[in-house]
Amino acid sequence: MTVVTHEAGAPSGAAPPSGDPGDAIVTHGLTKRFRGGQVAVDALDLTVPRGSVFGFLGPNGSGKTTTIRMLLGLVAPTAGDYSVLGMPLARALPRVGALVEGPAFYPYLSGEANLLRFDAADPTAAGATARTRVGEALERVGLSAAAGKRFRNYSLGMRQRLAIAAALLGPRELLVLDEPTNGLDPQGTREVRALVKEIAADGTTVFVSSHLLAEVEQMCTHAAIMRTGNLVAQGTIASLNGGLTTRIRVETPDAADAARVLDALGLADVRSAAPEVTAELGGQAPEEINAALVREGVAVRGLAVVRPSLEDVFVGLTGEGFDVDG
Amino acid sequence: MSTAETEVDVRRTPGLVPVTETMRTVEREPGAAPAGPPAAAPPPSRPVAAFWRLLGSELGLTFRRPRNQVMLAVLASVPLLIGIGLRIAAGDEAVGGLIGAVAGNSLMLTFVSFSFLVLLLMPVSVAVVGGDSVAGEAGAGTLRYLLAAPAGRTRLLAVKYLNAVLFAYAVTIVVALSALVTGLVLFPVGPVTLLSGSTVSVAEGLLRILVTVGYVGAGMAALAAIAVALSTFTEVSIGAIAATMVLVIVAQVIRAIPQLDFLAPYLLPTWWTRFDAVLRSPIDLAALGQGLLVFGAYIGLFCSIAWARFTGKDITS
Amino acid sequence: MRRGTFVRWGVPIAAAAVIAGAMGAGPVIAAVSGEPTLPERTAQQLLADAAAATSERDGIPPMSGTVQQTASLGLPALPQTGSASPINLLSGSHEVKLWYGGVNKIRVAMPTQFDETNVIVNGDQVWYWDSGDNTATKVKVKSGTDVGRHQLPTPSPSDMTPQKMAADLLAGAEKDTAVRVTNNAQVAGRAAYQLVLTPKDESSLVQEVRVALDGETYVPLQVQVYAKGSAEPAFQVGFTQVTFTPPAAENFTFTPPAGAKVQEQTLGDDKAAEQHAEHAQETAQGLKTVGEGWTRVAVLPFKPEDLTKARTQQPDGQWNEGADPGALLDNVLKSATPVSGTWGSGKLIKTKLVTALLTDDGRLLVGAVTPEEITKAAGIK
Repeated sequence: MTVVTHEAGAPSGAAPPSGDPGDAIVTHGLTKRFRGGQVAVDALDLTVPRGSVFGFLGPNGSGKTTTIRMLLGLVAPTAGDYSVLGMPLARALPRVGALVEGPAFYPYLSGEANLLRFDAADPTAAGATARTRVGEALERVGLSAAAGKRFRNYSLGMRQRLAIAAALLGPRELLVLDEPTNGLDPQGTREVRALVKEIAADGTTVFVSSHLLAEVEQMCTHAAIMRTGNLVAQGTIASLNGGLTTRIRVETPDAADAARVLDALGLADVRSAAPEVTAELGGQAPEEINAALVREGVAVRGLAVVRPSLEDVFVGLTGEGFDVDG
Repeated sequence: MSTAETEVDVRRTPGLVPVTETMRTVEREPGAAPAGPPAAAPPPSRPVAAFWRLLGSELGLTFRRPRNQVMLAVLASVPLLIGIGLRIAAGDEAVGGLIGAVAGNSLMLTFVSFSFLVLLLMPVSVAVVGGDSVAGEAGAGTLRYLLAAPAGRTRLLAVKYLNAVLFAYAVTIVVALSALVTGLVLFPVGPVTLLSGSTVSVAEGLLRILVTVGYVGAGMAALAAIAVALSTFTEVSIGAIAATMVLVIVAQVIRAIPQLDFLAPYLLPTWWTRFDAVLRSPIDLAALGQGLLVFGAYIGLFCSIAWARFTGKDITS
Repeated sequence: MRRGTFVRWGVPIAAAAVIAGAMGAGPVIAAVSGEPTLPERTAQQLLADAAAATSERDGIPPMSGTVQQTASLGLPALPQTGSASPINLLSGSHEVKLWYGGVNKIRVAMPTQFDETNVIVNGDQVWYWDSGDNTATKVKVKSGTDVGRHQLPTPSPSDMTPQKMAADLLAGAEKDTAVRVTNNAQVAGRAAYQLVLTPKDESSLVQEVRVALDGETYVPLQVQVYAKGSAEPAFQVGFTQVTFTPPAAENFTFTPPAGAKVQEQTLGDDKAAEQHAEHAQETAQGLKTVGEGWTRVAVLPFKPEDLTKARTQQPDGQWNEGADPGALLDNVLKSATPVSGTWGSGKLIKTKLVTALLTDDGRLLVGAVTPEEITKAAGIK
């Protein structure tokens, strides 16, 4: 049985459009225009390498969820094609665990019964081993004790964890997590992060969407940035940051002197805003800059190397502030 | 992998027990190694077994749901109430026809119960389960997880419709059994007088009840097809249920207007009541056959509409 | 939209087309009447063959089937009575089941929703069964009277079997009728000859009358009366399903079921029937006809009060609510047009097939003619 979902153009799931067949997700010109003309995703070219923890970043409403729905075959693309795990979607999906737009379960069923229900929906999962799978998934997210409790009595954090457990039913080659820390308290957020790292360590590709820059920076090896349906940038975290330079920041009462010294050292883009002076670090060693400042009699209160954040990347690329916590 | 394990140990956080063994020990599909080459995956090896498993899951959901259990209980109570009412009124000579016949024979209560229930109460319960089938999952958001599992759209729709059909038959059987038990307790057992005035044995009477159950169940299955089709058009299950009931009621109104008589043969309720063909001598097989053809036409049309809609639908809930 | 959308929706559209095709197949085949499968016959040959076949096997062969009667006379809608009242036959569609084993073995069943009336003739025994009031009536026939010709207490649906209708109509075929034969009709899935009778008189409302005779047994299978300017028959009675095999014997044996009321009635002894007969005789005495053939107009004395009187005459309220002729008349008169002329004035009711004129001087004129013709007839006193 095949899922017939996207019939625009080529059978998109049938073969990877191009590039490395080892990529977990490849999209080409992926576009979704909803009825009414609103373009949710506009000609998206995304490449998610296998084994990466891929941060899919963007403010709310930038088309992240629609993209994920297309990748899971829930929404048919208006144009373009895509490939998941380099195989037809119906064959790929059993190897993909997904959490889309928060947990959704049958409130009158227990956590365990809920997972058994979704396990039954997977045509490749054997019924005989279902209980083992469900038990292990529950154990993995620490819900074994609450397995028999009805879902409607679960707390917000437990619901989120159950949704992650559902995504972990059986071995997955790709985990798609849409805003996995949404609605969680700091403790829950830390737990999810730890879990993602753990899963990634097993070799599973994790595709995690978020509107939280810090979250992506902490968890991910790769990232893509979306803005109003368009892809702004993608690559490894390092390469994204590479577009911007590391700066040195000097905290001093003698701002003018400090600026002169930094200039003399050949640092570019020296900016003085008392009591701070910043400049591009270039290739110089911070300790040598410190020594030079002290030599010139500048009182150094503090000295820091400022590495560029994804927020800086976003601001640099779009000229807009990132709507943190939207 | 060995390095992964040590790393995981370091990262262990309270409340999350790392079970790194999971992926290696739980067998999902023979030969499908988690990190195997993409093209090496064999096709689903047990599609039939997996289909029945999903249907079993669906049936469990339907029959364990308190709302549906209440509906079945209400349907089971109606023949009991009719039986008691007729028992009290039994002395009254003025009662004639089918209802009068109950007083003389226990099996007739089944036919009388059907004649009451087949026009509204049974359609309501079938419309509830059919109308809820897809819209209910969409409204709760579980539809996206079922499809991402991946349940497969055609496969899921087939399971949903089969489930509605089985519920329709459950409704029919519950009414028949309740009426049979009530009838046997309250009224004398003996040969059954048919509408044609001839008499058949108890065994043949039971056989005719069986035929009625088959026919009425098929009629309800036709309604289930409409309900499931409407269910694919909305994310609000009550909308699909109400729309189905509106169609049933409009059909009843059309039947009541003599000027619109020519439409009657195309309406489901007209054929639901045609189970009275089993009470004739000989059984009016032509009427039953034509009724089944009408039901089949409705099922074919509305299942294909449901399929066309559901396989092309964007799941945005 | 996307290409796949059209492909997908093609499936239900194809399903709808198949269903529509299957529904339309019956009537279409009957109307279009593809290849003739029967040898050609003139009307004379056909009637001779039919007569020969009938006399050869001594009447109609054993058969059973379903007879459907449809009337769309263009009358105002009549209230539904739900019972086997003959007035119901004037509008809508009705079905009877017929089992014919021989002159003395006949069963006619009229099924209605959750009810059934039966007339069963077996030798000299005649039963009338009504499941609605759980009553079996044993009808005794006075010696010397013939069952086949005598009227049963309730007008039996057998009056409208094609056999009788065809015989009546064929007798009426005279010099003022054009008769032709087609050999490509299909009735109840059987190849049939169709005798088409067309009135020559322009003022008749009847376009033509078609009588279908089975191609093999020459048993009349269908009678259709077409009104002028209408593609659908205004009145039609015929088999929708028929088999020429002897019906099972149990169809003709009737034993009143336990618990049923059993009544006995002897034809001819019945007082009500006698009254009916007297009444009919009185009416017949006052009946005159004007004109000839297709344009014959019946003239009879009539006062609306008569019907009201008739209602009170029914002792046990045999008229159902809706079938009450008085109420029915009120209903019909509402749609009547007042007319007047040199002959006087009155109310005219025009249907597709029949025109009736109720004059203010107490005459009722009825005929299958145009309103002009009937007012002309009204002038002849």
